Amino acid sequence: MGVTTALPGRTNARRRRTGSPLGPDPERRRYGGVRELIAGLRNPTPLVRLNRVAGGVDAYLKLEWMNPFGSIKDRTAHYLLEGLRRRGELDGRELVEATSGNTGIALAALAALEGIPLTVTIPSGVPQEKLVLLRMLGATVMATPDDLCPVDNPRDGAIALARAIADSPAHRGRYAMPNQYASPDNVRAHYETTGPEIWEQTEGRVRTFVAGYGTCGTITGVGRFLKERDPGIRVVAVEPQRGHRLPGLKNLEEAKAPAILDRSVIDDVVRVDDEPAYAMARRLFREEALIVGPSTGAIAHAIAGLEPEGAGLVVGISPDSGHQYASFYASLVEQEGAVP
Amino acid sequence: MIDIRWDAELDCTGLLCPLPVYRTSQAIARLEAGQVLRIECTDPGSLADFPAFARQRGHALLAAQDQGGRQVFLIRKEAA
Repeated sequence: MGVTTALPGRTNARRRRTGSPLGPDPERRRYGGVRELIAGLRNPTPLVRLNRVAGGVDAYLKLEWMNPFGSIKDRTAHYLLEGLRRRGELDGRELVEATSGNTGIALAALAALEGIPLTVTIPSGVPQEKLVLLRMLGATVMATPDDLCPVDNPRDGAIALARAIADSPAHRGRYAMPNQYASPDNVRAHYETTGPEIWEQTEGRVRTFVAGYGTCGTITGVGRFLKERDPGIRVVAVEPQRGHRLPGLKNLEEAKAPAILDRSVIDDVVRVDDEPAYAMARRLFREEALIVGPSTGAIAHAIAGLEPEGAGLVVGISPDSGHQYASFYASLVEQEGAVP
Repeated sequence: MIDIRWDAELDCTGLLCPLPVYRTSQAIARLEAGQVLRIECTDPGSLADFPAFARQRGHALLAAQDQGGRQVFLIRKEAA
């Protein structure tokens, strides 16, 4: 029999008759839809050892960019949408969310699967690649200038704009806002998946966990899970300096601390400047062949600064890959001079 | 205020801050220098936001009025 182009319904009918359906089989890495690729205990993102840049620290990066939409936010977006649906807040509504890119991309992908319109508000400085991905996925993108909220905190303009879209009386409740900064579903995603994965993948031997301050879902969720398993596990938060250029990370002096942040699970905060973070990103590319985003550079820099004996087995988060930062990294490459 | 003529209008009633400023920013981008935009809002926060917005962007706030829960602003686009 040659190749046929049957309608999906007819194909399914034939499968039922022959009794040999080619259904999903994760063991063979065959899936019924892209959503099934989102990481979880049965499908964890990889831990990869840092063999050259960690300065004697026994460290692994958890490569969250192996998620299907490219970042750790795939977990978050999945849990945020499930939470809205469970509470009946999604029925017939559109979505609006403030995001520096990755949550937007993951939400846009999941919304596209379900035919839900999505508007994302993004702060200035988000790389062009992310804007294009959002548009390709069908999202409406509202770029928020830094001086949009002249009276309130300028760095939080995108959040204020999304909030206004969701709450404005003129919109008559048309929009649901997942609100990754305040939703317990964001924490739950990491408490139920990222944390248990790290525990399993290290066979319970992780001693130090390192993640950035962003929405604080990761550090709170993973930190809480690991502390419950072993209160002696040290949780280290990486914070950029004021006025930083490290997409996805937040300085909690200039940006409002997200409502979901639980400081009780955090033992130490490490401040990282932009330049050492970029330098480490470059080393990760060139010495570990890890094509990572700038926030991974900040996290790996913090890891390399730990005292090896005290730190024990370290797991750090690599939130996203370098592929979507080509324009961002272009200036670093230019600084190195032209090709001879 | 009544005597000032405007070239375009923007209805921001029922919109919460900072949406009126965002919409205004977009609307001003479509105007020629010297043209005037009339904006009507219902969020009292706009009384603080629009003067700051005009100052930061270098536009002229010709009028700001609060009339029974409605705020009306006239902003003239200045040459960049």
